[in-house]
Amino acid sequence: MNNYTPNLAERAQPSEQWIEQIRARYPVEKAIDEVFTRKLHNRLKPVEHTMDFSKLQERLQRFLKDETGQADIKAENLKRLPGGASKEQFTFDLTWQPKPGKQETQHLMIRMDPTESIVETHRLRECQVLRAMSGEVPVPQVLWIDPLGEKLGHPALIANFLEGTVQPEQPEDSEKMSGIGMYFNPELRASLSQQFVDILAKIHSIDGSTKDLSTFDIPQSNSTQANEWAIGLWERAWNEDTLSAHPVMERAVLWLKENMPEVGEPVIVHGDYRTGNFMYTDDLEINAIFDWELAYYGDYHDDLAWASLSLFGGSDEEGKPLSSSLMPQEDFLARYERASGNKVDMEKLFYFHVFSYYKIAVIAAATSVRVAYSRRTHLDAMMNFASGLGSVAISELNRMLDEATS
Amino acid sequence: MSPEIEQFLSGMKKTIEEVVMPNLTDRFAQEQAGIVAASLGFLGLIQDKAFHYELLENQEYKRILTDVCELLNNTFSAPESIVETTSKVTEHFVTDKVDDPTHLRPYKFIRGSNEVMKELLCEFIQQQPEMSAELRAAFEALMKPFFKSIELRERSWVKALGFDPEAEQQADIADLLYKDGFLNTDKP
Repeated sequence: MNNYTPNLAERAQPSEQWIEQIRARYPVEKAIDEVFTRKLHNRLKPVEHTMDFSKLQERLQRFLKDETGQADIKAENLKRLPGGASKEQFTFDLTWQPKPGKQETQHLMIRMDPTESIVETHRLRECQVLRAMSGEVPVPQVLWIDPLGEKLGHPALIANFLEGTVQPEQPEDSEKMSGIGMYFNPELRASLSQQFVDILAKIHSIDGSTKDLSTFDIPQSNSTQANEWAIGLWERAWNEDTLSAHPVMERAVLWLKENMPEVGEPVIVHGDYRTGNFMYTDDLEINAIFDWELAYYGDYHDDLAWASLSLFGGSDEEGKPLSSSLMPQEDFLARYERASGNKVDMEKLFYFHVFSYYKIAVIAAATSVRVAYSRRTHLDAMMNFASGLGSVAISELNRMLDEATS
Repeated sequence: MSPEIEQFLSGMKKTIEEVVMPNLTDRFAQEQAGIVAASLGFLGLIQDKAFHYELLENQEYKRILTDVCELLNNTFSAPESIVETTSKVTEHFVTDKVDDPTHLRPYKFIRGSNEVMKELLCEFIQQQPEMSAELRAAFEALMKPFFKSIELRERSWVKALGFDPEAEQQADIADLLYKDGFLNTDKP
């Protein structure tokens, strides 16, 4: 494969000077700078991601012995889970004493960074936000973390494994990726919609200052700082990862920067709140919200836009589009206003719809293709395939920008 | 050339779908094999059009960069940084001349030239805040149909991948690339 231009050569084998230029150019939170810079330094190592996880069992056993101080701990039945686009996921059974004198076997999961991920995120940050949410909204319980991968080989967190349904049975002619255009029947929609809204409203109401969120920078109120950091992250990811410059992406990021709204009081934004990232029980109770790795302090409209993006949502039986495959957008927004007391500003929602498509395009058209190019993920074939989603997102971006500038 | 690439791909796809996949018991392996089969199907559809896709882009980028440079050369208000990018375009057009028979070049030459031109066009787009209001309006008017052309072409290229909720409304890529049996180099 070729690096056709000096920019492409730098992205593939970044020099220290180029890394410093990139770091100086894009305003991001400290933790984000840390993981992005580590990613660029790792790119200099000629390592392909290996699918062989035979050494993980032994490392896991050793890690858990150290963490618990229990010599007779036993980690068994390590298995890879399907899916998990951004992280490798495994399950295993752990026999140990969670409380003194009480031995039991628990089914647990590992969420682990591949050598390079489609979204480079911070495991400690994900762990902190999951712990902050525990008891507030349904989330998996994080038990242990290896934030830098010094013990397990790659940064990872270990959490309890929850039983439930993420994707209900789909119509026969449907061949969608999990979380995109999913179908929920009317009974499921009736049961899950209000819960989906109430949990989002709850997330946005949580006072982060009472929690340990030390890896999160807190932006100034009544300023554009939260959005400067958010755009800085995604623009930096694009410029670190893309294999091809794209005029529509430059058009989009310029528009995003020139039309950036102020954020009154920044709230904890989930960052990936949509169908595919929640699970429900047989009693139709949402029992877990997943994928907190993109959480940050920002504008609640970001989550509203992401959850109501037409690209993610399926339709009802008459073909009417549904936000997160659950309810019409106007219904979703009205319920959110009632549940949260937050006013929905349609201009801001439009802005964050544009931003949402920009983010999808960065993930699917740039970073996915980069990690597959470098053979650094557990899903190389899928990452090339996912570029199709990026092209659709770029097309939607262009349509919205035409609308915004007409 | 025999067998044709399409035949190789089709044979591999059939083997994965009818031999390998039914014998896989691991869900992760099944999922990945399905993606490999789908990728092979996609490659079978587009492999004979990749060269002309790049060739068409080569023509379009040469045309838009020529138009942008002409616009900027005809204005007194273009700032210095933009003039520098204009010079880089002129320099690149020495390597890949606008009226060269580019269709006789190897694929990788065209792909590389296109990448350089994309980066240069992106530089102009980034420099819009430095343009006067009048110049920026003229630049945007020039770019809009070009952006639309990219949008339609890329969406059409990936429609068989199955992500597009509007796939049925997208043109087939062959209908965008060719007109009357030849590469469609009409201005967008």
